[in-house]
Amino acid sequence: MSRPRGAAGRGSPPGEPRLVGFLYVLPALAAFAVFGVWPLLQTILFSTWKWKGIGTPEPVGLENYVDVLGDPDIYTAFLRSLVLVVFAAILPVCIGLLLAALLSRVRIRGMGTYRVLLFLPQTIAMVVVAIAWGWIYSRDGIVNEILRTVGLGGVARAWLGDFDLALPAIGLIGTWLNSGLCMVLFVAGVQKIPIDLYDAARVDGAGPWSEFRAVTLPGLRNEVIVALTLTVIFALRNFDLIWITTGGGPGDATTTPSILLYHFGFEARRLGTGSAIAVVMTVVILVVSVILVRLGERGDEGVAR
Amino acid sequence: MATVTFDHVWKKFGDVVAVNDLNLEIQDGEFMVLVGPSGCGKTTSLRMIAGLEEISDGSLRIGDRVVNNVPPKDRDIAMVFQSYALYPHMTVRDNLAFGLKLRKTPKADIDKRVQEAAAMLSLENLLNRKPRELSGGQRQRVALGRAIVREPAVFLMDEPLSNLDAKLRVQTRAEIARLHQRLKVTTVYVTHDQVEAMTMGQRIAVMSEARLQQVGTPQSLYDHPANRFVAGFIGSPSMNFMNVTASGTGDSVVLRNDAIEVTLPEPFRGRLPASGNVVLGIRPEHLAMSGASAAGTLKGGADVVEYLGNEELIHVNAAGQDIVAVIGSEHRIRPGDQLNLQVPLEKVHLFDPESGVSLSPMAGQAAG
Repeated sequence: MSRPRGAAGRGSPPGEPRLVGFLYVLPALAAFAVFGVWPLLQTILFSTWKWKGIGTPEPVGLENYVDVLGDPDIYTAFLRSLVLVVFAAILPVCIGLLLAALLSRVRIRGMGTYRVLLFLPQTIAMVVVAIAWGWIYSRDGIVNEILRTVGLGGVARAWLGDFDLALPAIGLIGTWLNSGLCMVLFVAGVQKIPIDLYDAARVDGAGPWSEFRAVTLPGLRNEVIVALTLTVIFALRNFDLIWITTGGGPGDATTTPSILLYHFGFEARRLGTGSAIAVVMTVVILVVSVILVRLGERGDEGVAR
Repeated sequence: MATVTFDHVWKKFGDVVAVNDLNLEIQDGEFMVLVGPSGCGKTTSLRMIAGLEEISDGSLRIGDRVVNNVPPKDRDIAMVFQSYALYPHMTVRDNLAFGLKLRKTPKADIDKRVQEAAAMLSLENLLNRKPRELSGGQRQRVALGRAIVREPAVFLMDEPLSNLDAKLRVQTRAEIARLHQRLKVTTVYVTHDQVEAMTMGQRIAVMSEARLQQVGTPQSLYDHPANRFVAGFIGSPSMNFMNVTASGTGDSVVLRNDAIEVTLPEPFRGRLPASGNVVLGIRPEHLAMSGASAAGTLKGGADVVEYLGNEELIHVNAAGQDIVAVIGSEHRIRPGDQLNLQVPLEKVHLFDPESGVSLSPMAGQAAG
């Protein structure tokens, strides 16, 4: 599309992109610029200010970054994000792969219904999810009721109020949310793998595990990358789920970078510090995404070993 | 090396019978072609040998062992798929070695066998490539190589040439035939193409509508088809069929309809059904030009002439029926010409109009 201006005039061969093409992408481009690029640039600008949100901002250069990166809390917060990545990204991908492997050779009646059920969490507003799970995990919630019924009442507790277990408990909500997404992606992907490959693997002598490694997993490579990218980003930047369920507590047991960001930006009225955290998060997420996408491409190039 | 024996084998998918009481013995080292139109059960039969399809009834033996419940990996077979089914993320070398690795073959042994197979199929320079970097013919050879390295007792090939272009198909056909001569491994080869079957098979099993129609050498199928289906399926262009009625008795029985009148060939005497109605079959290449409208000729007008170089394929309208004849192009036949075609009595086939079974005394011997 990016042709020199002059070349797009008269005499350009039919079918060549013309300037009018830019008109078609303009609405999307405008929306992206206003709601994506502009706030990003603003945030970067804010991150170089000392500002309470009102009054006159004071430019301080990179001081906010020095503060943020010098604060051990931010590293602890990122470590907590890592725990969430395990629960909300890695675990769902594994569960999705397991399901896909099981479904790769068996046709299940009513698959469509199961698919809808498993995908349903993705369609529910996060606020609703968070409040519902708040009930489920509460002192008299379903989890504890079940534990008491089977005689494990001693284990029952306010899960989201437990210093050690609040973070994994939130992580499991992420597992529940994202497993359906992974499964839908992978089951669709498995159906694209030619059945002949499975037959060839069986004739070659592959058991279920080698069959999975030689056929299913390589065949799902792109889907796995997409799923990992989506879920890792979810885990790294999630705010609403944590904020509504625990608000970052108890203490700071579930305080992730996004909670810190909110704390500094809107509670402590240190908009510059909050913006700096936002920029750091953006960079981290960007780097992780690029690594994941690269991993996907490497498998596609067909480089000889 | 092993024999493969189908003993009253059935395959049903729900109510649909895919293979109906198949009895077939494939000899040790034999190149057996299963041929038939699509949906005739040939691929299902092959997949049953591979163990990819369960057997509904009857028993299947490889060598002396009943393999009905033996998983594919323990059957000592290797299979070449129509789509080649190469593992897309593995190099050619890994594709070849995969089956051996799974069987815990020693590394040195794997390397040796992969090298040998690669040399046999001229794949040495491609070993580090991935399937997507290969042409169709090369992928096909890798698929063959993957079967060869396993050194199995039986090769199974499911239409391995159907994704190749015409020229490459002829080349690969010869290559597979050469491989078989060299390795002398029992091979079961499935195709819908009767030319492939005729050129490659030591014996051919013709299937139609889930049933085995006839087994025999290419020549016996061509000369003595057991029924009308085999007669029409084997040979190209396919055999002409005409309904004729017998009249007269003893030595002077005559078969006739509006376009043809021939005396009943000797071997068929006393074998005609009581109604006197039979189907006469004559191959296009057995019809010859004849000058006069003598007895034993077929009369009709040339409809369409397809020029093939050394010969012409002529569609003759004989009393409303389309008859195909292959005639030397030196006769320069043009559409509209009135023709008298000589019907050689010794090449005539007769079939029962109801059952389609051949009335020739020879057909019974050729079958089975």
